[in-house]
Amino acid sequence: MPKQNYLCIQRSPAGNCEPPPPSQMQEMFAKFQSWSEKFKDNFVDMGGKLAEGGKVVGAEGTVDGPFAESKEIAGGYMIISAESMEEAIKIVEESPGIGMPGSTVEIRQIQTP
Amino acid sequence: MKRELAESFFRHEYGKLTATFSRRFGTRYFQDVEDAVQSALLKGMQTWPVSGVPENPSAWLFQVARNSLLGELRKRSNQGRLLQEHSQDFAETSEGVAAPSELQDNLIQMLFISCDHSIPINSQLVFALKALCGFSIQEVATRLFVTEENAYKRYARARRALASDSIAKELSNGITHTQYALRLPSVQKVLYLIFTEGHLSTHSNLPIRLELCQEAIRLSKILAENPHGQSPSTFALIALFHLLSARMSSRQKEDGSLLLLEEQNRSQWDQEQIKVGLEYLAKSATGEEFSRYHAEAGIAAEHCLAPSYSETRWEKIAELYQLLDRVSPSPLHRINRAMAVAEFKGPQFALGELSEFEPPSWLSSSYQYYAVLADLHFRSKKQDDGARFRKLAIDSAPSSAIKKLTKSRLDRY
Repeated sequence: MPKQNYLCIQRSPAGNCEPPPPSQMQEMFAKFQSWSEKFKDNFVDMGGKLAEGGKVVGAEGTVDGPFAESKEIAGGYMIISAESMEEAIKIVEESPGIGMPGSTVEIRQIQTP
Repeated sequence: MKRELAESFFRHEYGKLTATFSRRFGTRYFQDVEDAVQSALLKGMQTWPVSGVPENPSAWLFQVARNSLLGELRKRSNQGRLLQEHSQDFAETSEGVAAPSELQDNLIQMLFISCDHSIPINSQLVFALKALCGFSIQEVATRLFVTEENAYKRYARARRALASDSIAKELSNGITHTQYALRLPSVQKVLYLIFTEGHLSTHSNLPIRLELCQEAIRLSKILAENPHGQSPSTFALIALFHLLSARMSSRQKEDGSLLLLEEQNRSQWDQEQIKVGLEYLAKSATGEEFSRYHAEAGIAAEHCLAPSYSETRWEKIAELYQLLDRVSPSPLHRINRAMAVAEFKGPQFALGELSEFEPPSWLSSSYQYYAVLADLHFRSKKQDDGARFRKLAIDSAPSSAIKKLTKSRLDRY
């Protein structure tokens, strides 16, 4: 079966949270690095962090967004390739970002005609 | 290509960058400096796994932290004034990255500044661990066995003092040569405290303790490379650290319980550490200075070089304790000396030496004092007195590990 692409959107609770101490950053960095090494063949686009604030464009005009009242903010995205949704879930589950409190990842298959 | 980061890279960068920006911008912006450095580290941690570690990660962090600091200060304050105050920093937005040696010098300068006599030594210690070693308040609290609140209070006290006018002025003008010389003992004392927190603590987690010892060694070696820190006493301090580190792993069993010197497996002592320690000890023997660290390193060296407990040169050790007591008087040295004397002149002679000794109250009610008395009485065949002091020693032991150790030592008699 050919591989499919999946869009992963990482969301975390709105508001600034205390950054982790340097020693923990070192640990997280190491985990992230070994994770990306392990699944390097599955990354189509490593994506990146999304800058704070943005615009929402609609027929009625352009407004600031995402909305301030939303509880979760999309903080980053990436595109991975996998045999199935199950495999995609497995890759995301092993990602070190999953361990952060309140942080979730939405996985959506990108449909091809 | 995958680039690896050095061990404790994030923590150590935190210390160097915090010290550097505090020097360039002034200690009154210390909080902003810390925030900017922290956010630069976070950015590195988040982007490097994706983009790869840059060729010079240190310079990368420097740039990001400076930009974020400048952005924050610009936002808050009158731009014209800031531009004037920091014209140099504003001018070099793209290439003015501090050289590694400058970063280390700044780290050492910060250490000297935070050892100002107006800051209590308790706060100096917490400040060094937090700001220069990059531990979080929570990590500092765990390492010092104090509450987070207490650690934070001590830290805040140092930070407040650093923001004061006199220290801010000192930082911008630079410390005078005389001030450096006057403060060197305080700086050494703080490093010594960092080390003993790791070495003597009964924390059952050996890696945590070793890490503190390594931090003390790292900072003291940077100190020894600095013209203001390069002194025989600093070399003696480093010698002491290595000679004590060599025996650390064999001092503790896997379950966290402690082993007596005579029970330790000497073949497990780290020969590399002993070698380095002895090299520094030789280096410390130049010039006239004889510090407490010389005496302590000398004692540690005697133990490291003795092939067995019974073949230890106790006479030499007793002599060094006497010297130690002379340069840094403490009743603790008297009782340690008595234990050494007992090994070559017998327990009764040692008791005789202690008969005129009047310990201060903090010592006379401590487990150490009672344990020494119990030991010497048992060995002099005075069973009743021995049993009495044995009970007092066990009752006053500060932790369960020390209680167990005291018991195992005294239950032989």
